[in-house]
Amino acid sequence: MRRLRALWMRFRGLCQGQQADNDFAAEVKSHVAMHTEDGIRAGLSLDEARRQALVRLGGVEQVRQAYRERRTLPLIESLVSDAGYGLRGLLRSPGFTAVAVLTLALGIGATSTVFTVADAALLRSWPASEPQRMVRIVASTPQGADYSFSYPDAVDLAAQSRTLEGIIAYARYAATIHSGSESQALLDEVVSPNYFSLLGTDPGLGRRFAAAAQSGQPCVVIGNAVWQRFFGSDPELVGKQILLSGRNYTVVGIAPRGFRGMTAFIPAELWFPITARYGASERGFRGFELVGRLRPEFTPAQAQAELEATGQRLAQAYPAVDKGRTVTVISERQRLREAATPTAMLMGAVGIVLLICCANVAGLILARGDARRKEIAMRLALGATRFRIVRQLLTESMLLALIGAGLGLIVAVELFRLQSALMPPAKFSLGLDLHLNAAAILFTIAVSMLAVILCGLLPAIQATKMSCAPALKSDERGGPPRRFTLRGSLVVAEIAMAATLLTASGLVVKSFLVSLKMNLGFDREKHLVFFDLGPGYDLARSAAYFQQAETSAAALPGVRHAALAQRMLLSDFGGGAEKRVSIPGIELPQGQTTIPVKFNAVDSGYFQTVGTHLLDGREFTMADGPHTARVAIVSRTMAERYWPASTAIGRQIVVDGKPCQVVGVAEDAKIIQPHEALEAYIYLPFAQWPRGEASLILESEQDGRPVIAAMRNVLQTMDRNAPLDVRTVDYLMQQAFWEDRITAAFVGILGLLAIFFGALGLYGVISFAVNRRRREIGIRMALGAERNDVVRMVLREGMAFAAIGSVIGLIASLLTMRVLSSVLYGVKPTDPLAFAGSVAVVISVSLIACWIPARRAASIDPMQALRTE
Amino acid sequence: MGEKTDVWQGTLTLMVLKTLESMGPQHGYGVARRIEQTSGDLLQLNYGTLYPALLKLEQEGYIRSRWGTSENNRKAKFYELTKAGQRRVRKAAAEWEQTTEILARFLAPAEEA
Repeated sequence: MRRLRALWMRFRGLCQGQQADNDFAAEVKSHVAMHTEDGIRAGLSLDEARRQALVRLGGVEQVRQAYRERRTLPLIESLVSDAGYGLRGLLRSPGFTAVAVLTLALGIGATSTVFTVADAALLRSWPASEPQRMVRIVASTPQGADYSFSYPDAVDLAAQSRTLEGIIAYARYAATIHSGSESQALLDEVVSPNYFSLLGTDPGLGRRFAAAAQSGQPCVVIGNAVWQRFFGSDPELVGKQILLSGRNYTVVGIAPRGFRGMTAFIPAELWFPITARYGASERGFRGFELVGRLRPEFTPAQAQAELEATGQRLAQAYPAVDKGRTVTVISERQRLREAATPTAMLMGAVGIVLLICCANVAGLILARGDARRKEIAMRLALGATRFRIVRQLLTESMLLALIGAGLGLIVAVELFRLQSALMPPAKFSLGLDLHLNAAAILFTIAVSMLAVILCGLLPAIQATKMSCAPALKSDERGGPPRRFTLRGSLVVAEIAMAATLLTASGLVVKSFLVSLKMNLGFDREKHLVFFDLGPGYDLARSAAYFQQAETSAAALPGVRHAALAQRMLLSDFGGGAEKRVSIPGIELPQGQTTIPVKFNAVDSGYFQTVGTHLLDGREFTMADGPHTARVAIVSRTMAERYWPASTAIGRQIVVDGKPCQVVGVAEDAKIIQPHEALEAYIYLPFAQWPRGEASLILESEQDGRPVIAAMRNVLQTMDRNAPLDVRTVDYLMQQAFWEDRITAAFVGILGLLAIFFGALGLYGVISFAVNRRRREIGIRMALGAERNDVVRMVLREGMAFAAIGSVIGLIASLLTMRVLSSVLYGVKPTDPLAFAGSVAVVISVSLIACWIPARRAASIDPMQALRTE
Repeated sequence: MGEKTDVWQGTLTLMVLKTLESMGPQHGYGVARRIEQTSGDLLQLNYGTLYPALLKLEQEGYIRSRWGTSENNRKAKFYELTKAGQRRVRKAAAEWEQTTEILARFLAPAEEA
């Protein structure tokens, strides 16, 4: 206690400063005066008495120093004075400071941004209290991991579990909110009644939602942002009815601020309870993802064992749908472990840029240390310890890093704003929840401290490693030119890292360009336009509506073909819809009676309209109607898998219990996204599998805009209230290749940043060398060297760094690019073009970086250079 | 006058506190003189070391200080014990007595021998 009090008093002493010093000076003065008086009284002369008083005191300055050290905290005090000294020094060389701070700000800002993105996308846990107790429930099937379950299965799994407190089932849909004249599509989650209570972030809401869901009345929980934007934060809203997608719902609550549902990238804004409308009682409808909460006393392994057993019982009880599925759990720790690799790749890429920035600043500090040799030598000569000076120099680097970190955070926040511009085209606001949270700020501080050590320590040690006498004597520029300086090695390292990152950029960009040309199984060069139709009628009336729409569309001028399909090309919305298929005479893996097969229901014009080629058999025709025999067209992969030896035409398959005859084989087409593996796929006639929603596909002769306007008119005259949504093939392509584009842009920009900073470092070193060698160059020129010789000499020196750096970078690339193989498409990690491109960029940028100082060297006037002696 | 002894680390604090207890409020110079006198001029006190010690005691809350006037009408800073300081003197003195007593037992037979 007393110690703490003393510490606090000393801490306060830091702020008292001058006044306390004066106080003590007065006290010493009075001490000496009293002692002198006593001396005089004892018979000494005034001078002698005073002398003895001072001797007994032990020297005024020493006492004051000892007192001062006790009064305050000398460590902090010297830190503060170092910081003050450093700050003045930095302000005296604004050019150096600006470049160093901006470099660090960019490096730290980029690193913090990427960290925040990785945190929001990969590391952040479930939006629940005690998220470490949440486990994801997954089925492993012969076709791979399956995250979707039917609601009855979820209910059974939960009911038979002792290890789990409960299981949340959720599915993503979209709804339209109407408010005055405005209506907007919002993402929603359809969730089990225990959703909010099991997440546990708002117990009151949890109880209300569970009760409302049980009552069976249509009800909804709305997101905080929706509440503010559409209802002006109306405090009376709970209990009122609101109109969503044409139906009335009672608002049972407002979600906690910032709550975005279960999927990081796809923030939900409305929550509905699961009802029969969403297939709550269909065991065959696997529309829900499951997350469970472990009871505190059980481990994930125990839950795993239990759920696996329950899963086996379900498979026995419902072989038609559940046979061959094994239920497993993914614990929070497992999830994080899986997220570690992508996180490490992201951080590794941006970490290289940060390292280059640090190396650059280290180079700048080294150059500055060189200019300060005299000052440092003087301080060493005056008795400062080396440690003391290193500490002082590090304080200066710390100042740089702290200012850099501050600016870096601003850079990061600005970069967060770019997110909305970088999102894939979508009707909904997608995006991660990016903000500076405690983790991001802590990370930034850690990064900047790392930066201090990286860019401050080496130069500080280097700067103090000298013998004072020669340093004091010599002229600042007079040091002998050394070939392999610390700065030189730093630049080589920078260029090597930049070359590595550029190789990676080259690979990723090339992969992006190759994937843009990949065969998607339809003709993307056609001017296709997609209208999403969902008039909300019964099936018969819908079918008539679709037919009329298609006929009118085909008659529009400028429309080549028109077709109907249940789902759009390359869209994950409903794209994963599956039918249960069995094939008489063919044994399915692991004794499953049926397998899930993704499908599309299309009409007769489809294949011609989108340009998917039929390899065998026939297309659907108008004759394949609701009352004729059921038919199907299978994909090439499906045909080759199940009838490898002979033709698929004429075979029987059973789809959802209904036998169909295979009449055609179509080429493989990508279903959800371009990079998926090919899988079995079936097409069914739309007329035989009618739905209330459809996509009307038009092929226009040229640019689709006039056709879109004309078609809009047609649809509005048919039913003014029917919702309408239009997309072009370009939009779909942008959406489909968004991930590739973002990856290419990310790695590409990092590569450019890396080579920019690498070149800046090279430029710095060469300029510095030229400045140092002014006299030597002057002499050379006086002795008859041509300007071209000088340029060549400087270039040779600079390009040596670039060459060594590129070679090291290429070797490093050869060793490390394998980690990229999972994200590359159609490009080998050793692609020679990417490697050559990287070297070409490094060499040409380095040439520019060396050219400027080389020109300067060549323009040296020999007379002037020699006269500076 | 015999050889003078330097003040041992740690004992100065107790001497200062004890001096202030017996003399009441006193300035630094007075405390220093008093310590020398009490020791029978056996202790060689570097007056300068007294002040950081006084400051430490003040920071720890055992003494407090204020400016006043000395007997010779000179401005001086006076130190006095606080309540905590009085308790501290009693406790430290008791501890010290116990320590010396124990040490004395070790030393006594050796002297007799």
